[in-house]
Amino acid sequence: MNRPLVTSRRRWLRGALGALPVPWLASWPGSAARAATPFPTRFVVMFSPNGTIAPQWTPRGTETDFTLPAILAPLAPHQEDVVVIAGVDQRGAGGDGHQVGMGGMLTGQSLNTGTFAGVGAPPAGWAAGPSVDQRIASVLGTSTPFRSLELGVQVGAADNWGRMCYRASDQPLVPEDDPAKVYAHVFADLHADPAALAKQRARRQSILDSVLESYTRASRRLDAADRQRLDAHVTAVRELELRLTRAPVPPTDVCRDPALPAPSSDDNDAFAQIGATQIDLLVMALACDITRVASLQWSRSVSQTRFTWLGIPDAHHDLSHHGDDDASAQDKLTRINAWYAQQLATLIAKLKAIPEGDGTMLDHTLILWCNELAKGNVHSRIDAPYVLAGRAGGGLRTGRFLTYDGDVPHNNLLLALVNAMGIPDTSFGKREWCTGPLPGLL
Amino acid sequence: MGLAPAGLAVAVMASSGCKSHDAAPAAWPDAGAAACATKSDPGPAPLRRLTRFELARTLADTLGADPTVVDLLPPDERSSDGFDNNAAAYSVSTVHVQGWLELAETVAGELVAAPSRLATLAGCDPVADETCRPRFVRALGQRLFRRALADDEAASYLALAAAAGADDPAAGTSAVIASMLQAADFLYRPETGASVDTSPQAVSDDELATRLSYLLVGTAPDMTLLAAAAAGQLGTDEGLLAEADRLLATPRAAEAFTHFIEEWWELADLPSAQKDTQLFRTWSSDMPAELAGETRAFLHDLWQSEPTLGALLSSPRSFVDTRLASFYGDPAPATTGLQAVTRDPQRYAGLLTQGAFLATHAKANQTSPVLRGKFVRARLLCAPPPPPPADKVIVAPTVDPRLPTRERFSQHASDPFCAGCHKLMDPIGFAFEHFDAVGRWRDDDASQPVDARGELSGTDVDAAIDGVPALATRLLASKQVRDCVATQWFRWAFARRESSADDTCAIGQLSEALQASQGNLRSLIRATVSTATFRLHRASERAPVPGSGDQGGGS
Repeated sequence: MNRPLVTSRRRWLRGALGALPVPWLASWPGSAARAATPFPTRFVVMFSPNGTIAPQWTPRGTETDFTLPAILAPLAPHQEDVVVIAGVDQRGAGGDGHQVGMGGMLTGQSLNTGTFAGVGAPPAGWAAGPSVDQRIASVLGTSTPFRSLELGVQVGAADNWGRMCYRASDQPLVPEDDPAKVYAHVFADLHADPAALAKQRARRQSILDSVLESYTRASRRLDAADRQRLDAHVTAVRELELRLTRAPVPPTDVCRDPALPAPSSDDNDAFAQIGATQIDLLVMALACDITRVASLQWSRSVSQTRFTWLGIPDAHHDLSHHGDDDASAQDKLTRINAWYAQQLATLIAKLKAIPEGDGTMLDHTLILWCNELAKGNVHSRIDAPYVLAGRAGGGLRTGRFLTYDGDVPHNNLLLALVNAMGIPDTSFGKREWCTGPLPGLL
Repeated sequence: MGLAPAGLAVAVMASSGCKSHDAAPAAWPDAGAAACATKSDPGPAPLRRLTRFELARTLADTLGADPTVVDLLPPDERSSDGFDNNAAAYSVSTVHVQGWLELAETVAGELVAAPSRLATLAGCDPVADETCRPRFVRALGQRLFRRALADDEAASYLALAAAAGADDPAAGTSAVIASMLQAADFLYRPETGASVDTSPQAVSDDELATRLSYLLVGTAPDMTLLAAAAAGQLGTDEGLLAEADRLLATPRAAEAFTHFIEEWWELADLPSAQKDTQLFRTWSSDMPAELAGETRAFLHDLWQSEPTLGALLSSPRSFVDTRLASFYGDPAPATTGLQAVTRDPQRYAGLLTQGAFLATHAKANQTSPVLRGKFVRARLLCAPPPPPPADKVIVAPTVDPRLPTRERFSQHASDPFCAGCHKLMDPIGFAFEHFDAVGRWRDDDASQPVDARGELSGTDVDAAIDGVPALATRLLASKQVRDCVATQWFRWAFARRESSADDTCAIGQLSEALQASQGNLRSLIRATVSTATFRLHRASERAPVPGSGDQGGGS
């Protein structure tokens, strides 16, 4: 690629903004409802780690008449707002069970070769393509200040066990796990003096223009491999520049400046509080239309969180490797997964508390709750636990339990989610794994 | 459904053989200096990015900035070689560039607000004195880019100063500083000499100074080194080694050495170590910092005296304050702060028996012979045990908490599926059984006297062992360990895996330096400067696949 890294920032911005109109929206399922409302549709991912306990997770009953067992019980107040999906297999390749699960969960891709040596596999790198939230953000995120927002809670080291969102192959997105930083980056403009903000933006733009020049100059002197690295840097700087061009969000009835959160901490017992704060910030970022695509990553794959507030002193991953015959471990893991379900319930409740039109914000939102594994003690990704919530602006019928038989790759689910958001793609992730949108969902 | 039956409790390994994924041979072939002399391929030199460690020190040393400003950045990527500087592992996202932007603005703002500090860079005040600005831009560029600015670069920064400083000269100066701090030339270490030529050639004097400084002291070249480079003094062995020796005598060298050991010994996970505080009542959230402080004091002391591998693996000396003394059961120090303590050499053996290492290589509620044994194999012997096959992980049997740790692991030895590989790890780890999950000595485990007998097998120093000092003695007699130390240092020094016969040759040179100096790690570090890998550079023939050269037999 010989094109200069920096042509003109402004020309590039025009190009990006020129991609805004999406005429095909009108012909897609659910799009009529969306087109009729002035409210944006949003997509949210929530991740929890180390697999589930299937007997305590899988609902009993029929598609529309079902009961939620222990793990999903916290979602009972919202049963009409969720879709529980059983029987979908999470595809992936490269790396160990947790790595491949984490990298493939949202990308439907294998891992590239790399330098992270897992348990039971040659060293693997980052995932080989964009994640589903980023595909959706490429359409929904073109006019908001943030294309997407990746949040986390004590996500730990920077490796492929701790990254689930990808901008592109080899381009993992770092989840911000410090609420104080989220606040500073995402909400600073809400309370800034407009004149001072305009001045700061102008100054940052001139500095970033100058910064980009240095990458153009350096790139000329480097070989192709090193140039690629600087290319990725330039892409990220340009995205930052783009934020500076987006109008600051005016406060409204529902968009309020959140309280300044306490900074993050490594203290295990702060986990729940940090998570609660991140949920508040995530909901407010959506309510303020700062972004329409967000994710919340609880810890990481191989998480060793100790759920002391549930009376469980054991480290989560260690616990997840106990045998099925260990009743105590099964009970603890059930309670841990139910706690995560409770966090999803909290997120749902907060979205439902914000009125939009005749309904609530949840009606215009699609939430995906996923896990890098199905069964922790054998690292299985067969029959992975997926829960959806919200109606995606009309694209999704909720209050259902769907179960699938046979080899159903999760690429099909991810494709259906892309479709539910009004994007008429016909494949997602690794092409040979995707055989079409998951039937019966939309 | 599909793929494989769910709920597979115990999978059967096709072969009981134990083949490692790691390409590193059990022992490196003897590759003396003579064998290397005819070879001069330096291997790939992927673009380096300043790690948080390097960036913090660079900002402090060049601009007098507060090094904690790097907390604005996300953590560095850590490859499975354990190091924070692996060039194939790092990635860039908007969170990174946002962090660099805020870091640059913070440092620039503070610098402009401190005219005396600002004036030291060019000997004049660029805010008050317009005629100072060209000189300031060049002086700042020299420090931050570690080379002289080209004319067009200088002109570009002066234009930025003028535009951003139209109303306020301080804002113009601040913009220049903030821009340079985010530049490719500052955050990365681009080496220009070899952009197209795939045949090896010497790196430029400026680039050599930069390599030398980050290698030995983990920070930007100081003015003396820059001057030596400008005067062409680094072109000779004597000149280069003179600068190397000068740098190695500075406090920055001790810190860089400590950081390398911490990375090599997988201590980066210490701050987030989780322990069951019901079982370990003396453990609290400040213990990781306490234990890190002990090990840092130990390593600084080691560097100041004689940093031998022998002392690292067997010294009974350590450092405790009141808190650590009560934690370990050492006599309380007479004065405040960390004080030297000499422990029983029959029990203690250098870093191997310090809490920082032991607590990170253990579970929350029990010791882990597997983690400890695996560390010794992977990081000290460079023969990591092969992992169980992916997606066919055996379900851990329910453990009886009344049993001593080693009995809980008996299935590893009795089940042929497990034994093939665990016999390489667990018997090494058993030697650590006198040290509990937080790193304290114990006589009993589950009300039974501790049995710390173990075994080294599949190495060049195979033997039955009892306790950590006995293990250390065997390791120190091992050529495999010496070669492994050289290998770890190579990976750290060049931010990549070894990938060719030439790399093996360079590692052989390093290992010889270690041997010739009776295991002195300072000699190992100094010898790096004489390798072709350090002196030369060439363009890569093709876009490197991250981690290529790592691919062992897959299972």
